[in-house]
Amino acid sequence: MNTFLAALFSGTSRGAIFALVALGLVIVWRGAGIVNFAQMGQAMFSTYIASTLITNGSSYWVGFVVALLSGAALGSILDVLVMRPLSNKKKTELLGSESMRAAVPVLASLGILGALQALAGIIWAAEERGFPAPAKQEGFTVAGNAMPFTAFDVFVIGSVAVTLILTTLFFKKTSMGLAMRATALNQEVAKLSGIRTNRTRTLSWAISGASSSLAGLLLTPSSNLSPNTLDLALLIGFTAAVVGGLDSPAGAVLGGFILGMVISFVTFYDTPEDVFLAILVVLLLALIVRPRGILGSKDARRV
Amino acid sequence: MSETTDLSISNLTVKFGGLTALDDVFLDVAPNTIVGLIGPNGAGKTTIFNSISGLVTPTSGEISIHGKKMKWPASHQLAEFGISRTLQGVGLFSGLSVVENVMMGANITSGSNFLKDLFGASGKAEAKLRRRALDALAWAGALDMAEKMPGDLTYPQTKRVSIARALISQPKILLLDEPAAGLGQDDIDKFAALLKQLKQRCAIIIVEHHVDFIGAISDQVYVLNFGKVISSGTFDHVKRDPAVLAAYLGTSTQTGSEKLGGGHA
Repeated sequence: MNTFLAALFSGTSRGAIFALVALGLVIVWRGAGIVNFAQMGQAMFSTYIASTLITNGSSYWVGFVVALLSGAALGSILDVLVMRPLSNKKKTELLGSESMRAAVPVLASLGILGALQALAGIIWAAEERGFPAPAKQEGFTVAGNAMPFTAFDVFVIGSVAVTLILTTLFFKKTSMGLAMRATALNQEVAKLSGIRTNRTRTLSWAISGASSSLAGLLLTPSSNLSPNTLDLALLIGFTAAVVGGLDSPAGAVLGGFILGMVISFVTFYDTPEDVFLAILVVLLLALIVRPRGILGSKDARRV
Repeated sequence: MSETTDLSISNLTVKFGGLTALDDVFLDVAPNTIVGLIGPNGAGKTTIFNSISGLVTPTSGEISIHGKKMKWPASHQLAEFGISRTLQGVGLFSGLSVVENVMMGANITSGSNFLKDLFGASGKAEAKLRRRALDALAWAGALDMAEKMPGDLTYPQTKRVSIARALISQPKILLLDEPAAGLGQDDIDKFAALLKQLKQRCAIIIVEHHVDFIGAISDQVYVLNFGKVISSGTFDHVKRDPAVLAAYLGTSTQTGSEKLGGGHA
């Protein structure tokens, strides 16, 4: 029973973080039509910025806020400097087919990932360093028994819940959110309706950059920080997005929690070494049984 | 001339590579009138709309809007100039509800101040916008569809929704691309009545294949063929124009005139 509870709690906490990663991927996929493989590289970079501030005497919260802001800024910069020119039809018309043209920004995101990791290695050296948590990572004690749930888990779930609620309100209850949903559905009609689609695109990169930076801040206290630490999170987040439906924010969150549970239960009941295998099995199952994802729409493109 | 027009185009030429889609086209639209553009398929009717709405870059030509000479507008500037457009095949967002679709017509991000838009993106502004959208739907006779998804509507209903969407921004110039296509005679009559009412509020330009419909509602008609204006004036005038008869029928015979007056072309 105790093992079960521990697995459940740990799965919820991890799942919440993977939900954030998957949500970031889905927002850029919907807003810009790109699977952004650089996403967790961006998150790694802004977590390093927070780490530098904190080791130089700033409070955790200053580092926290700066990381979110620099995540948003880095996302916007990448869109404006790299993705926007690459998506320009006139400049890429030499490439034969539509699918080739669609692949270019995705390949570029892999290049960005490499560049960011190399740059982080140059600036901060490639060895692992710790990253602080804002709350205790020892379990609560109830009547002398250590519970499998920590104050940091509460912080993780709380901050992810706040992010999800804010994102939902933004997309459902504001005009800018409506503009972004419309742009994702039909860019041409959105343009004719007066939407500057370049701007909504950049905004989706910024939102995704901030939310994945939060994921970076929440992951690194237990994984430590190095240029490659967050690679696994991208893999899991991508799987979560595919399982839930790459074009569905709600699906991304659902997929994140499913992956969190699978990983946690495999870790507790089997062995951590089988986690990779389990992720792969989940991905394969999803692609065979329901390739468009649990909440994905019918006409979503397959990647 | 330009003081009395809402929209005036002269010498408009559009070339796609070696193909000349529009050749020295002119168009004058007076306030509170309905102007019909007719012509065979490929004559360039929709290309005129695309030039006005920034989807096509004209090779040459001038445009005046509300009597002011200006650069050809970009898509996102249309609402700013009081121009609203419906699309061939309606162009509703399938994933948004009807009322949200109509709200999208309201130029919700004015484009001039992105940050203000972003931080002013409050629920209050959204609620106000929603009320305006419901008003526009009510005007177009589609209020009861507000919460439905476009996929659940009949075709004539989607037309009403697209009109409501075009109207929410209170345009001075409304561009309608084949609004009667796919409608039955009953719905066409209702639609014509709706447009005649609408004329009190703005100038309307209509691209249409349905010649009877154009004849019934238009104050001015322009006939295009192979990218050129071959005739213009009142419907009664153009339907007797030998150039028009030749374009539609290959010859200018009396039976041709009857056909043009009574057919769906």
